[in-house]
Amino acid sequence: MMERCLGAYRWRRMQRAFRQFKVTIICLLLTIVVLRGTIGAGKFGTPEQDYLEIRDHLIHTSRKRAEPHRVLEEVQPQQTMASDSSSSGGGGSATTNSYTEFDINTILKDEEPDDKPDPNKPYSLGPKISDWDEQRATWLKENPQFPNFIGPNKPRVLLVTGSSPKPCENPVGDHYLLKSIKNKIDYCRLHGVEVFYNMALLDAEMAGFWAKLPLIRKLLLSHPEIEFLWWMDSDAMFTDMAFEVPWERYRDSNFVMHGWNEMVYDEKNWIGLNTGSFLLRNCQWSLDILDSWAPMGPKGKVREEAGKILTRELKNRPVFEADDQSAMVYLLATQRDKWGDKVYLENAYYLHGYWGILVDRYEEMIENYHPGLGDHRWPLVTHFVGCKPCGKFGDYPVERCLKQMDRAFNFGDNQILQMYGFTHKSLASRRVKRVRNETSNPLEVKDELGLLHPAFKAVKVSSS
Amino acid sequence: MGLGSFTRQKRNTSSQLPTVAANGGGRYSAGRVVPRGRQIQKTFNNIKITVLCGFVTILVLRGTIGVGNLGSSEADAVNQNIIEETNRILAEIRSDSDPADPNEPQEPDLNPNVTYTLGPRIEDWDTSRKKWLESNSEFPNYVNGKPRILLLTGSPPNPCDNPIGDHYLLKALKNKIDYCRIHGIEIVYNMAHLDKELAGYWAKLPMIRRLMLSHPEVEWIWWMDSDALFTDMVFEIPLSKYGNHNMVIHGYPDLLFDQKSWIALNTGSFLFRNCQWSLDLLGAWAPMGPKGPIRDEAGKILTANLKGRPAFEADDQSALIYLLISRKNEWMDKVFVENSYYLHGYWAGLVDRYEEMLEKYHPGLGDERWPFVTHFVGCKPCGSYGDYPVERCLRSMERAFNFADNQVLNLYGFSHRGLLSPKIRRIRNETITPLQYLDQFDIRHHKASSKP
Repeated sequence: MMERCLGAYRWRRMQRAFRQFKVTIICLLLTIVVLRGTIGAGKFGTPEQDYLEIRDHLIHTSRKRAEPHRVLEEVQPQQTMASDSSSSGGGGSATTNSYTEFDINTILKDEEPDDKPDPNKPYSLGPKISDWDEQRATWLKENPQFPNFIGPNKPRVLLVTGSSPKPCENPVGDHYLLKSIKNKIDYCRLHGVEVFYNMALLDAEMAGFWAKLPLIRKLLLSHPEIEFLWWMDSDAMFTDMAFEVPWERYRDSNFVMHGWNEMVYDEKNWIGLNTGSFLLRNCQWSLDILDSWAPMGPKGKVREEAGKILTRELKNRPVFEADDQSAMVYLLATQRDKWGDKVYLENAYYLHGYWGILVDRYEEMIENYHPGLGDHRWPLVTHFVGCKPCGKFGDYPVERCLKQMDRAFNFGDNQILQMYGFTHKSLASRRVKRVRNETSNPLEVKDELGLLHPAFKAVKVSSS
Repeated sequence: MGLGSFTRQKRNTSSQLPTVAANGGGRYSAGRVVPRGRQIQKTFNNIKITVLCGFVTILVLRGTIGVGNLGSSEADAVNQNIIEETNRILAEIRSDSDPADPNEPQEPDLNPNVTYTLGPRIEDWDTSRKKWLESNSEFPNYVNGKPRILLLTGSPPNPCDNPIGDHYLLKALKNKIDYCRIHGIEIVYNMAHLDKELAGYWAKLPMIRRLMLSHPEVEWIWWMDSDALFTDMVFEIPLSKYGNHNMVIHGYPDLLFDQKSWIALNTGSFLFRNCQWSLDLLGAWAPMGPKGPIRDEAGKILTANLKGRPAFEADDQSALIYLLISRKNEWMDKVFVENSYYLHGYWAGLVDRYEEMLEKYHPGLGDERWPFVTHFVGCKPCGSYGDYPVERCLRSMERAFNFADNQVLNLYGFSHRGLLSPKIRRIRNETITPLQYLDQFDIRHHKASSKP
């Protein structure tokens, strides 16, 4: 056929040319293929993309679909059903009454742009104050109705905790944040401690675990009546409701953290102390240490570089950006003479208790001990480091983390409920059961732990 | 022409081969070896380029795509496993099932003929309480001249049907923590169903009674729904106004007595004095609550007697209205129906006016100019469906939250970037003498300085 189109002679010439150049043509094709494989050909893609496309197509047709996809597909018909059935409110368009799969980000919006920090200016938490002790003392004298001590050995304490203003990525994360803050409210109500729940990022440069520093400084300066500020992470829970912090022990200290002197000063171990739960006195010294702590925090290059220094200098620290805890270890280890005498590394009780070694022993504790000890026998705080219930991925299996958080919550909640004659049916159960019958003389009944009217909550009896 | 002969010659030569081979075929052994070898060589010559190209292609493809089946799908399978596992755990957490349930004996059903009671009858609560207060002077019922108030709120113990519900419960709780810290009020957040008969909106009754009896030092118990937000951080309830009353509730007397409307009062935010009268009222209120046939029957009675009430099981609000209407002489003298400020403020008429309020008024008024409480009735963010479009509800809740939060952040020199923005901006520069602003911006100091 070709022969007839072009003529025999030309056809033969073409054939010969083809035979002679076939090697060349093959090499050309090969070069194109190799280049496409390495560089890519823009919208024509790479072999890897081809492979993925083919695979997806095959899987799609062979119906080996993953579970999440099935879940999403099921949800959508629900949504359309909902919008069909919604009668009132707003008439026509996409106004649905169903909360399933609603994206909050369609509502939240910023009306003003982000402030860009000046890259040349070194970071500082605020203008340097040098006479805070005097300013505060004067203020306290002028305002006797806001004393910094609410009892003979009881300073005024503000417990500070917080979380992001946006919903958690994990669907049950907000529920655990709610339980955690309820737990803290309960402890603080019993012990006369005020609570501040922060949901605002005061300084965009100090985001993440560093966000507590500007917040702490701001609170210390705005509340001179506060004697101690108690920072607590949102993933830490109180598990001993009867334990009162031994305030007299810290008479001469300004900064109390859970940790071990040897591990911080000698070993420079990055987990030698824990900044998930600590006490900071409201004084000039604290402002100074905050200023010395902050420089490793500003996000971006500063934090990355600082992270490398910390990994190099501290024992066992993995490679990641600078975090506040490692920075504190480094600060104390390198400047011990400047700060060490006012820092108390507490380990007689669990001001911070690593959950991994505690949560399985709750039943044993209930059997053998009682609340009020605060230490390994009955921990004051169980801190779920690494669980990250608000995020999508933590360092531990999801099931273990969430189940154990439930248990820790119930363990603490039982001590509150027993005041009212109830307890959880088991450490894993949300339901409660009665353990003390109602009586017609409720005031004669004393709760076992004496938490209804504890001594540490008694108001100073006025002389008038 | 020459070319043609050339090819012909070639063809002739090639055609000779088979004859040679054919000839060789006769003499079996010798003929087969030689042409076989040459045949293989020739085949090899012809296809060597093909083989070479094929080999190189495989190498190149292997280098770019990988060995395919083994690598990527393994990672995928692991991912899939994680997702499946997470979904299973979430479903388990969200469900109402309890690990301990199968072993528990079934609790006996409530006898419908016996009137339900919250607990054993107490007759002398006033005197007992007074005696207790006298012997426990370190727990007085008045602190710094103000009566001790306990704010009670709560939510169900299991996660909400959807995650956004829990997020707004958290924000609402933060809002209450802020108000109560500023005004020296204690909070109890209840997540337990003390009485399985009185579940749902009735759960507040046994809890209020329990708290009253356990905390005689508390003068007022203030119930507040989880979907109600404080929007005036300065306003304080004028408790001195209620010296002769034991219950303060928002509502309209004309709607209550003349129209018998089911929304004449709102039980989303009310106060009970800790006294015998309150225990009695709670006891009279409870009987319509026990779930099951009692609650359903009661619901029918309420729908029949109250104006505008849809048909559903008895709820605590309708039951209270019915009680106060039918036994007016017994109870109404001690009930203060408050509407001079928004102890409960229905959200729909308020949330769009926040900008206008910011422009014209100031916090501390508590009424329609600057509402004390904005209550999101009907939004039900913890459930799956509300009575209003989701977008409107959540947008309004976010605005109300930020409106209130701005009043708290004011002390620290910050404000939200907009009523819908979670981010904040500085409104007052840092200074080396921060205490100069306290009297002006700290709400607690307003109160202190205004005292004579």
